[in-house]
This record gives sequence, C-alpha cells and structure tokens, in this order.
Amino acid sequence: MNELNLEKKSFGEKVGDFLGKPVVRAILPILGLVVITLLLDALTHGKILQASSIKLMLSQVYVLMIASTGVFMIMTMGCLDFSQGSMLGIASIVVCYLSFYSIPLAIIGGMLTGAAIGAVNAFFHVKRKIPSFIVTICTMYLFRGLCSYFASKKPVAAVSTISAYNTIPIKLGITIAVLLVAWFIFTFTKVGPNLKAIGAGEKASRFAGIKVEKTKWLVYIIAGAITGLAAFVNIVKVGSVTPSGGTMLETQILIALVLGGMPVSGGPMVRFSNVICGVLTFKILASGLQMIGLATERSQLIEGIVFLIVVALFSDRRSLQVIK
Amino acid sequence: MAELITKKDVILKAEHIDKSFGVTHAVKDVCLDFSRGEVRGLIGENGSGKSTFCSMLTGIYPIGSGKFVLDGKELHVKNQVEANREGVSIIVQEMGTLSGLTVAENIFLGNEDRFVKAGIKNGGAMNREAQSYLDKYGFNHIHAGDLIDNYDFEDRKLIEIVKATYFDPKVVVIDETTTTLGQSGRQELYKHMKRIRDDGNTVIFISHDLTEVIEQCDTISVLRDGALIDTVQAKDVTEDDLKRLMVGRELGDRYYRTDYGEPVSNEVVLSVKNVTVPGQIKNISFELHKGEILGIGGLSECGMHEVGKSAFGASYDRTGEVTLADGTHIDSIPTAIKKSIAYVSKDRDNESLVISDTIRDNICLPSLTELAHGGLLFGKNMNGFADKFASLISVKMTGVGQFVSDLSGGNKQKVALARWIGKDSDIIVLDSPTRGIDVKVKADIYALMSEMKKQGKSIIMISEEILELLGMSDRILVMKDGEISGEFQRSAELTEEDIIAKMV
Repeated sequence: MNELNLEKKSFGEKVGDFLGKPVVRAILPILGLVVITLLLDALTHGKILQASSIKLMLSQVYVLMIASTGVFMIMTMGCLDFSQGSMLGIASIVVCYLSFYSIPLAIIGGMLTGAAIGAVNAFFHVKRKIPSFIVTICTMYLFRGLCSYFASKKPVAAVSTISAYNTIPIKLGITIAVLLVAWFIFTFTKVGPNLKAIGAGEKASRFAGIKVEKTKWLVYIIAGAITGLAAFVNIVKVGSVTPSGGTMLETQILIALVLGGMPVSGGPMVRFSNVICGVLTFKILASGLQMIGLATERSQLIEGIVFLIVVALFSDRRSLQVIK
Repeated sequence: MAELITKKDVILKAEHIDKSFGVTHAVKDVCLDFSRGEVRGLIGENGSGKSTFCSMLTGIYPIGSGKFVLDGKELHVKNQVEANREGVSIIVQEMGTLSGLTVAENIFLGNEDRFVKAGIKNGGAMNREAQSYLDKYGFNHIHAGDLIDNYDFEDRKLIEIVKATYFDPKVVVIDETTTTLGQSGRQELYKHMKRIRDDGNTVIFISHDLTEVIEQCDTISVLRDGALIDTVQAKDVTEDDLKRLMVGRELGDRYYRTDYGEPVSNEVVLSVKNVTVPGQIKNISFELHKGEILGIGGLSECGMHEVGKSAFGASYDRTGEVTLADGTHIDSIPTAIKKSIAYVSKDRDNESLVISDTIRDNICLPSLTELAHGGLLFGKNMNGFADKFASLISVKMTGVGQFVSDLSGGNKQKVALARWIGKDSDIIVLDSPTRGIDVKVKADIYALMSEMKKQGKSIIMISEEILELLGMSDRILVMKDGEISGEFQRSAELTEEDIIAKMV
C-alpha cells in the first residue's frame, strides 16, 4: 500500500523536490559540465582547455558517446544493459576478422554482432521475463568469456590499412551522425514518448496501446547495432583486441548517463541532452583528474564518489522500485 | 440493543477509528464495542473498510486517528507480534505462513526467544511444543518438524489457526479465511471459533458468505463505504436484511439520466461470443448496440472487470471471440485502439494512466500516430492536443506538463477520459468510472456519458454501484461467479433488489 506522506517534509525531501523540477533537471547537467570544466581547468592551470588536451579527450570520447546513445534508449525504458563492454569486445573481434575482406563488410559485421547480442538480451528479458540487469550481467560474463577464447593467445589484429580511417573527420563524423539520427528520432517521432511511457509504467503503457514487448526487442537490437558501430571506431583507433577489450565500458556508460542527469529508472524526465552532457562531463572529469596528477586508483575513487552523490541527488525515489 | 451490549462485559472498544489512503477515505470514524465471549460478524462490500479496520487493530497498518481500548487499556501496537503479546491476533485473508520454514517455526514466528537458551535455539523443544498444540487442536496429521511447503493451502490455514490462537488471545480476527477453505476445513474453523468464545474470548469474523455469518455469529456489524451502518443480533435478521444494509445507499440519483423507454438502435457494433478467461469468466456472450449504454454489474469478484479487459483485447489466455460489426477480431490492445475501442480500467493508477508521466503524454499516447505529420511529431502539437481535451472536460491542473501522480482521483479519471475523447473512440469500455470520485466530478462523468450516447457512441459501463447502473444503463447484465446471471432492460420500475437478487 502506498502511504502518502502529506505531512512535513524533511530537508532532504525538499532538496529532492527542487531537483525534480523539469527546469532544474534541464539546466543542472549543463551547469555541472561547465563548473567541472572550469574547476579542473583552474586546478590544472589552464591545461584542460588547451587545443592539445581537447584533441586528446575527443579521441577518447567517440566510442563512449556512440555506445551511450544506444544505452540511453534502453535506460529510458527503465531497463539496463551491463553487457555493453563484452558486446564491444566481441564486435571488435568480428570487425578485425572481417576487415581483411572489406571495410564495409567489417562495419556491417560488427553491427550485426552487436544486434545479435542485443537480441539475446531481449530474448531473456522480454520472453523469459527476467529483470534486464540480471540478464545482462549474465551475458556480460558469457561474452567476456568468448572474447578471451578468441583473443587470449594473442590479440586479434585488424588489417593494418584500417588505420587510414583513423582521422578526426571520420570518427567525429560517425559520432555526430549517430547522435543526430538518434536525437531526431527520439525528439520528433513517437519513439520518444513511447520509450518514456514504458519507463514510467509498463502495464499502463500496454493499456495505452504501446507494443511494449516489440519495442523492447527493437531497442535492445538497435542499441546492440550502435555498439557494433562503436566497435568499428574502436578498432580504427587501436587496431587490435585483447581479451579485456571493452572492459568497464558498461560502467562508464552508466556513470556518464547518470552524470548527465539521466534518472536511473528512466521515464518522462529523460532528455536527449543527458547523453552528450554526461559523456563529456565524465571524460573531462576522468582526464582532468589524471592531469592534476592523481594516480588512476585515486581518480577512480573520486569518480565513484561523484557518481554516488549524483545518483543520490537525482534518483526519483518514487519510481526507483520499478527498475527492470 | 444498546442495553444488551452494555449488560455484557466489554473487552474491546474502538473509539473514533479513522483512516485514509491518499484520497481514499477507507475507514470513517468507526466506534464499536466488542463483548467478552461473543462471535462478532463484520460484513460489508469490498472496500467498505472491514479489512482496513482489522489491520489497524492488529498493527498491520498504523491507526489514522482514534484508538482501540482493550480491557480498559489503550492499545499501542506497531506490528502483529506486538499485537499478539497484547492478546490480539489475526488470521489473514491471504497466505499468512512463510514458505521455507518448518511448521513449528511458523507457529512461533516472532516468539522464538522462548526457546533460546544462551543464544542457542532449542529446535527440539520448539517442535515438541508445536506438536502438542497441533495435537490438542486435533490436527494430528500435521507434523511440527516438517517444512510448511509440504502442506497444501488448506492445511496451512489450519496451521494459521494454531499460530493465531495457541496463546489464548483475548481477541481473534478471522479475515475472510473461509473462502479458501473446503467444507471440512470450515467445520474445523467453526469448532475453534466456538471454543474461543466459550473460553470467554472474542472472535471478529469477516466473511462475504452471509449464510455462514448468520449461522456462526452472535452479533453482526455492517460497514459501508468505511462507515459503521448498524450492529444487529444474528438471530433477528435474514440474509436479505443484511444485503440491504450492505448495499443500500442514500438516494443521490438526481444526476442520472431521466429518460425512459427511448428505443435503442438495433445496429450491433460489438459482439462478444463465448468468451472465457480461465479462473475469471466463463462463456460470456452479449451484443452491444450503437448508442447504447450497457451496464454490467455484480459483486467485485464476479468477473465483470475481466469482461471489460476482454472486450479491449487485454485479457491473457482468452478464448472465444470479440468481433466488430465489420468482422474485425479484437485480440490485442493495439488492434482494439486502432478499431476505435477505448478502455478506462478500474485500476486507475496502474492500468488507466501512466501516473509517473505527464498529463500531456497520457492524453497523447494512443493518438501519437494521428498527431504526427508525415511521421514527425512536434511538442507544440502534443501540447495543443492535450490542452484542448484536458480543458474540454475541465481537468484541474497547473498545465499539461504536470505529472498525473500529483492529481486527485477525480482529476486522474478526467485525464483518462480525455485521452479517449481525444482519440474519438466509438466504443468506450468504462470500468468503475466513478470509483472514489466526489459527487461533482461524478455528475460531470454522467453528463459526458449521456453526451457520448447522443453522438451515437456505445458504452459498456462496468460498475459495483447498483444505483449508477440503474440510473445510466439502457440495459443491465448482472454477473455472478464468472457468468451472466440476469439481464434487465431500462425501466423506472427496476429496483436495487431486483439486481441484488441476481448478484448474490
């Protein structure tokens, strides 16, 4: 039974109410990005905003940005995907193998691999009705194992000519294209309202005529394909895959999206800007902390703390129980 | 009667007990005295507040306001274990035992301390004591050391009887337990109710089976809409008297339709044929005509709510056919919506509306395809559409961007209706359209229904309120145990009693 507490609100609840306002939710992530950038810029004596550091950071942003776009749609429905890292690993291996035949084939192969893994996730989540975080944690281990099987003796390398694609116009172009298409579909078609409604309440969405199961299938498959494309960008940059290729990508995506102001439970508060703000904030935070001279362990510690604070402030407690 | 009660020794007094869940006023200022050594029946329709009242008595819910006085001392209990220590126990409607524990562990749940010595639980002693109680109650076929999962539902209810009564509580609440018991289980329960009464303690017996209530109880209290209506002596009343007390409502029908005898078109817009949903409804067949308001009534568990879902293609495991005039089979929600069927569920917060979404999205969701121009959807169009239909039926809101969860029950219902008015559906299935809604909004909804009828739209109205059915329907189907038990045409002579006779 829902106990409606209409009495005095504690300070924490008031803060929660304030942070829950749509305007605040829209502005805060951007404000956070600016503040973190300026703060770190000051701490590193202007190193962050130098052309060379921006270029370096950009080169690290592409894969995370592309993959986050797909997961963004999954999370809007209130679902999660922890298999992204392993998915990137496997798709990268496929890209490497196929790159010896033709580059377009490699891209398509990578995307199909991602889509197939997305379909596996969707099958267990939608058909077998297992919560998505459990399914994707299982597939994360499963496909990480497969990754090691292929890459453990020696890294799987792509054809050497693939480095010809390692240019800013190509990588930035792909990233922007993915963002633009996703933004357009999310904002100007019924996909956006449908995904948000599923995140807000699956049963009620069904009664409003939304094909919940079909939508979930499609989103998982498309998000997989997008990560497959990210795998191509990844290979273009690094040229080969080790058994740990793509490890922790899923966590980085989750942290980035939440830093961007995305509610963990999805739903109507979600905005497309969450992806861009989140990924940029995450990367600037990570590289800024390194430039200050913190060791990796310590910067991870700080990232973790920042993440916890943001989640605690932004999560909508009313809907947290519906994470699927 | 008051005299009779004061003569006896009062063991439990409920003083101005009141409780609300959000906008629902579940229990309204109930004052009741319970005497030592009586079996008291507590009856009322679903949602009349019986279970909520007893849940407060036994610490399952906190008391809204008012107090319970047991043996001259005010009760302050926060959970069932504390209630047991004070001498109040309950056998609940649902499964009240925990799987994965033994019979003995279930019986002594929350009281394991008595078997703990120096931090170690003496399982043997616990089992021996539990077994002695089981034997004393005559349930020798149950073994205290077995896992409770080895026993069927009925045996688990018997174990609950032991659990709730072995410590001789002063007041035992039995909440709709008999519906799940077979004949022999019931006899066991009755035997123990009598024993508890003869020991000078009190039983509060909640049941929907009026025959059983009259046979087993000494006095009967009737609740309706959360308020106490009357307390009567069981030997003085008939089932019909009780039904009247339970269902009767104040005459507030001035806002219903006043026309009688106007013919309804013969054109069939929807036909339901041999529809069965396992465990819910059996072989339901009826036809809905153009411009007709078809009322479906019955007790809450009669299956009528599932009939509405079936007509909308929302039932799982449905067999039989729901067909439109053009021959389309309705077997999924998207088909139903596409073919101009609308459905407003009884479960407003989980089915009718996506409550943690905005008013805009809720109104627009089924109409997104129509709202898009060449596949493109613009926020401006959605805002305009939502605003138009929300204003049309005057939803009280700060704007269409407001969240539905912030609205009152009546306004939520208006949003649910606005969605389908916007979709311009021709067949509208309304399940309990005025449940928990104040008189003002009720009148608005009735006016809206009359307006839709005038436009030639057809309405199926499923309702637990008989007066509403009598007041608004062209035709009434009454259901009982998942089947249609009666059909009535609109008439000024039709009375509540006619309907109730087919319901119960």
